[in-house]
Amino acid sequence: MEKVKIKLTVNAREYELEVYPNQRLLDVLRENLHLTGTKEGCGIGECGACTVLINGDAVNSCLVLAPQADGKEVVTVEGLGQGENLHPLQEAFIKHFAFQCGFCTPGMLMAAKALLLKIPDPTEEDIRKWLSGVLCRCTGYQQIIDAVKEAAEEMKKC
Amino acid sequence: MINCEYLKPVDLQEALKFASQFADRARFAAGCTNILPDIHTGKLRDCVLIDISDLKELTGINREDDFISLGSATTVAELLNSEIIRNEAPVLWEAASRFADPVVRNRATVGGNLAYGSPASDMSVPLLVLDATVLVQSMEKGIREIPLRNFFVGPGKTVLSPSEVILRIKFEPLSDFKFYYTKFGKRNAMAISIASLAVGIKLGKAIEEARIALGALAPIPLRALRTEEFLTGKPVQTEILEKASEILLSEINPISDIRGSKEYRLELTRALFLRAVNNILSLK
Ligand SMILES: Cc1cc2nc3c(=O)[nH]c(=O)nc-3n(C[C@H](O)[C@H](O)[C@H](O)COP(=O)(O)OP(=O)(O)OC[C@H]3O[C@@H](n4cnc5c(N)ncnc54)[C@H](O)[C@@H]3O)c2cc1C
Ligand code: FES
Ligand code: FES
Repeated sequence: MEKVKIKLTVNAREYELEVYPNQRLLDVLRENLHLTGTKEGCGIGECGACTVLINGDAVNSCLVLAPQADGKEVVTVEGLGQGENLHPLQEAFIKHFAFQCGFCTPGMLMAAKALLLKIPDPTEEDIRKWLSGVLCRCTGYQQIIDAVKEAAEEMKKC
Repeated sequence: MINCEYLKPVDLQEALKFASQFADRARFAAGCTNILPDIHTGKLRDCVLIDISDLKELTGINREDDFISLGSATTVAELLNSEIIRNEAPVLWEAASRFADPVVRNRATVGGNLAYGSPASDMSVPLLVLDATVLVQSMEKGIREIPLRNFFVGPGKTVLSPSEVILRIKFEPLSDFKFYYTKFGKRNAMAISIASLAVGIKLGKAIEEARIALGALAPIPLRALRTEEFLTGKPVQTEILEKASEILLSEINPISDIRGSKEYRLELTRALFLRAVNNILSLK
């Protein structure tokens, strides 16, 4: 298969890559760029573990054709905090024990980040809706929702 | 062996040229929310992906005289963010708000949803009840206008030829109708419809006109034309609605699958239909 040249920004760094025509953005992130924070659960759009931001919107990276990421700005969980400093969402997840095995956490964080970009002051209903496509098999969700609520409060203060 | 190629046409003309050149291997790639799972599960192995996601001819939600015109590459999220859709086509807006989850909606397009031809296609039901027309184009056949009600042929099959692209979808908003949309799935988010239904009624002293569209209840999404005809000119009475629901059940042909049995879907349809009509009447 003939490879396709793409240029994209991931976590504020520019990359020029050659990708396969049927490659997914998820594979580019994990295999080409070794950003393994983004997880593959189902591989078919159902579980949300692979959620990242493209131009500020949450997408399932297993449903994004890598060549279509050309020219786009991608943010993964590795780009959420700044250096050693965790993002308020990450702090709140720790405080509320919003994970057990942690496999869904990168997806939860990125879906929550997209929510707070659009709705800085979400209701519980908003949070439930925006996170509805990310499945967690451990926590029972309540801690996650509490964490997002608190992070929104914290971010209003800054 | 997987054998895929990717082409990015500069404009619509080039996209049509590529599609004609690669004929049966050509696949227009919009949001790829159907295409990538099909590649991943081995259903699609040999294809030339023609990227139409950035073609300006296929984008935008516009008012054109009496019509609303949607580019086929409009995402479900864009429908939800559109004031035109929210205010003038609330039945389509409602269906968009029940589609998958907010993350999938950022990629899934209206054109892809129709072209994939799933019997459970959630964009088809509100668009059928609005009596939408699909504008398509290819090198071989030029531009064609196809009523959506004649568009679906069978599960995964439409009247589109492999090199034909959906350009736009057009409909009149029908401000003198009242609409109701309902989607019934196993959970609120991310559920494939067990049944979905949209009803539109123009009410005067009696029912002046009725439109009913159904999803996941037959091999294709469809309009219940015989039930519509029966209801036209009839007063709103319990017996009339009971009779209408009998006709409605004779017009569908649901299957039994992991989401529900045939018998369950029939009962569900009756309940959803009566609920829809009662909701519309209570809007008055
Ligand atoms: C997790 C998940 C949840 C989902 N939930 C729902 C749901 O709730 N309701 C629902 O109805 N569907 C759902 N789907 C299915 C899918 O998201 C939709 O069918 C979507 O609208 C397809 O659009 P797309 O742009 O991604 O299509 P693509 O995958 O890009 O294309 C699908 C097919 O349509 C063709 N095509 C695309 N655009 C055009 C065009 N303009 N002209 C001609 N052919 C074209 C392609 O060649 C391909 O054959 C879901 C899918 C996933 C993975
Ligand atoms: S891995 Fe992408 S949604 Fe499950
Ligand atoms: S913490 Fe284990 S899946 Fe969510």
